[in-house]
Amino acid sequence: MKQVAEGSQAVSEAVRLAKVQVIAAYPITPQTHIVEIISEFCSNGTLDARFICVESEHSAMAAIIGAASSGVRTFTATSSHGLAYMHELLHWASGARLPIVMTDVNRALGPGWNIWLDQTDSLSQRDTGWIQLYCEDGQDVLDSTLMAYRLAESVNLPVMVVLDAFFLSHTYEPVDVPDQEPVDKFLPPFSPRFQLDTDNPGAFNQFVAPQAYMEMRYNIQTAMEQVPGNYSHIAEEFETIFGRQHNPAEAVQCDDAEIIFVTAGTTVSTCRQAVDRLRSKGEKTGLLKLKMFRPFPIDLFRQVLSGKQKVAVVDRNCSFGASGIFAQELRAALYHAESPPQIFGYIAGLGGRDVTPETIEDIYWQTKNADSPQTENIWIGLDQETIESWRN
Amino acid sequence: MTDNKTPDNKIPLFLPHSSASTALNKTGSWRYVRPLYDEKTSACSAACPAGEDIARIEMLVSQKLIPEALETILEENPFPAVCGRVCFHNCEGACNRGQMDDPIAIHHLERFLGDAAISSKETPKVDTLPENGKKVAIAGSGPAGLGAAYFLARLGFGCEVFEAQSEPGGILRWGIPAYRLPREVLDKEISRIAELGVSIHCRTPITREILGTFKTQYDAVFIGCGYGRAVDLQIEGAQKAINGLQFLYNIRARHAVSLNAKSSAAVIGGGNTAIDVARTLVRLGVDPIIVYRRRRQDMPAFDPELQMALDEGVKLKELLSPIGIKDAAGDSADHQPSYVVTLQKMKVSTTKIEGRARVVPDGDKTETLQIDHIFAAIGAEPADPWHNVPSGERPSLHLSHCEIVNSDVPIAYGGDLTNRVKSVADAIASGKQAAITLDTYFKSGWDAVNEAVAGCQVGPGPTVSMTMYLGKEREDRNPHIVSFNEINTHYFKSAPRTIAPVLSPQDRSQSFLPVEYTLSKEAALEESRRCFNCGICNACDYCRLYCPEMSVIVENAGRHINLDYCKGCGLCVAECPRNAMALKEEDI
Repeated sequence: MKQVAEGSQAVSEAVRLAKVQVIAAYPITPQTHIVEIISEFCSNGTLDARFICVESEHSAMAAIIGAASSGVRTFTATSSHGLAYMHELLHWASGARLPIVMTDVNRALGPGWNIWLDQTDSLSQRDTGWIQLYCEDGQDVLDSTLMAYRLAESVNLPVMVVLDAFFLSHTYEPVDVPDQEPVDKFLPPFSPRFQLDTDNPGAFNQFVAPQAYMEMRYNIQTAMEQVPGNYSHIAEEFETIFGRQHNPAEAVQCDDAEIIFVTAGTTVSTCRQAVDRLRSKGEKTGLLKLKMFRPFPIDLFRQVLSGKQKVAVVDRNCSFGASGIFAQELRAALYHAESPPQIFGYIAGLGGRDVTPETIEDIYWQTKNADSPQTENIWIGLDQETIESWRN
Repeated sequence: MTDNKTPDNKIPLFLPHSSASTALNKTGSWRYVRPLYDEKTSACSAACPAGEDIARIEMLVSQKLIPEALETILEENPFPAVCGRVCFHNCEGACNRGQMDDPIAIHHLERFLGDAAISSKETPKVDTLPENGKKVAIAGSGPAGLGAAYFLARLGFGCEVFEAQSEPGGILRWGIPAYRLPREVLDKEISRIAELGVSIHCRTPITREILGTFKTQYDAVFIGCGYGRAVDLQIEGAQKAINGLQFLYNIRARHAVSLNAKSSAAVIGGGNTAIDVARTLVRLGVDPIIVYRRRRQDMPAFDPELQMALDEGVKLKELLSPIGIKDAAGDSADHQPSYVVTLQKMKVSTTKIEGRARVVPDGDKTETLQIDHIFAAIGAEPADPWHNVPSGERPSLHLSHCEIVNSDVPIAYGGDLTNRVKSVADAIASGKQAAITLDTYFKSGWDAVNEAVAGCQVGPGPTVSMTMYLGKEREDRNPHIVSFNEINTHYFKSAPRTIAPVLSPQDRSQSFLPVEYTLSKEAALEESRRCFNCGICNACDYCRLYCPEMSVIVENAGRHINLDYCKGCGLCVAECPRNAMALKEEDI
């Protein structure tokens, strides 16, 4: 049934439909609505789950790791500093091969203290062994969360579903919230491949010597490599049941495009509009929506982008001393591609600053008018007066 | 998820897993400090002259173990119902809870238990030793003499108490008015002492000559004759003043007192006797004024008693010292006052004596007071010179609450004769200390006494404990006194102190009915639950709940640490709400 719901509610409805059994979370803006709604589900009996109140995000993830080890479906959500605080346990969750699903609401890290959109928090967790899925709108959030459980449980790796602070978490739009029955068909109860069992006491994840540690790591890499294939199966089945398609990366008007935008999150929607406008002016441009960031869908990117002239990556994040992180990943992915395009890395909209269709068009013209990128990262919309003031 | 239902590929998992129990990993080897159950001393118990194990008593009450609680209190004090009513409850001033909200109402709980012991069908059991064949003569049946008899009898001595008056109790019976201590309560507690086999001979005053004969008939003597004589005013017309102690005695003995209702009275003095005289006068319809040469804050009287008196209509005049009493000019029949008291105005000097502000005459400023009656309550002293400890000639031991002269037979002096603080609880303490001293003397000789007394001190002393002397588990308690900042206050919610119901001042002033009521069982339980139980394990179990290694083992209602697995993290010690545990460095 279609509802007008904010992104946070779309997450919570998915958690309810997934019949999650244990939730542990610590509130942080802009994630708070998510856990508020879930805690209400738990207290009013809509969701038969245990909600564990904890004193920190570190404890939230620790509690979820414990719960998942006992073989139940789990959920947590966080943002920004909360995610950073979990870092140690993010490695543990993937190393322990626990199919945890977590929502991260992309928010800037301080200082300066800022609660608005910035992707650096989730991208800083790139190497923790978590699958990462970025969402464009409320429907994408709900659907990705449901698919995340299937995906996580198929490869025994945790999944982070990522959505933009406020632009998505707090924005109301129509969302189709499916009935329980088709969801149950798509997502059967979790059947753990291993679990703590009081009848057969045992311990997981104790000391591992150099003779075996590398193989454990290789096993994780193998599982990650399995993800795109599994994802395709799951997405297909999802489309059959719900009629909606969610690819790891979606190519929009790319066939004849000469300049292609690559971006993630709500900026994708803005880009769609900008591409339409530019197309109406006769500009040959297209868009590649990045949904799955880990594992990085290299083949798909090579397939779409090989032979194109230029790619404009819009990063709402920065790896200081290098460039935007999506741009970095793309450069690495296309290095061995046949006739790779020139990659222009743009950094825009940090800390909640607006990225409008005009911003995208500006990026387009800059890209079109340059023969090649002058620098690895081009900062968009900086206030020159401010910069001059601290340069002097 | 089942493979046959979904297309999801299952890859093989490579994970460390062991079906061996983690019990293999003896984490105790990591430890460099070890937790231990280390019960400590509560501030209240060390402040109690009778050494009552208050923290444990309140714990037992909170666990509804009333018989155990009253046995515990009776181990140290034969007079809980009396002390619950009249003691100045030093314990409450020391109570750590007072730094959080209000001290525990310890005296109300003591009274509750004392009354429960009185109404209990079964006589509460206290530890007693078999008869040792020794006999002790005790002069005086006040709280010191009866206290000595109670503890000596429990140590196996045959005790005979000699009392000059018609009934036993001393100051408790004759000096404390009925509205504070009803006769029945005292009778019941004294009869419990008699039941231990103590003989009490009334109307048998002891003289110096009789004392001489005791030396051949008894193995030891205890002298607890108290301060039997009031100190007289040393001023012109002093003989016109009525002796306050004698007045209280007459009231208790139901002798006729001739006071006109609606007459006025001046009560000279600032001690508890002055307050008792004034409050008694109120009940007889007389309008009393307490005249005190210092200020209210300097009064030796217990302030709550003074406050009750003021509530009942007693007036207080401070910094006035009587210098003469004369007959008034008029005729008392037409309601003219009988006397004129001349009062020297006093002022506070900058120098202090023993911590108390010194007052000196304020030049020659005086005022006069027209009054019908004058009562002197300026102190008391031994009734006979031989009641005092003889000085010099024989070896003697000066302990905190008693003195023992090693004469032909040992003679112990206690109660007001030797105590710095003249209180019922201190009198009981002197009896207990004398009993322990005499027992040690007969068992191990004169030289062993100091060590034996030190060995049963509550905390750093001087209070001594009979259960500790008898070698009960309380002896193992750490003498360290638990301070407020050693309490884990996260475990305690602020809760109001229980207030016992009291008669209104109007009702009080018209009868000698008890002013305060005993707490109901429900109120007592609620109040006992406020107690931190400082230093005492009350089996709250937080040590076990927080132990990350499940190393706290509960066995036979006790707790111990499984050192095979205890890592020495110290969580149990940090979480213990009441500092009943400690961390000790391992010997490496």
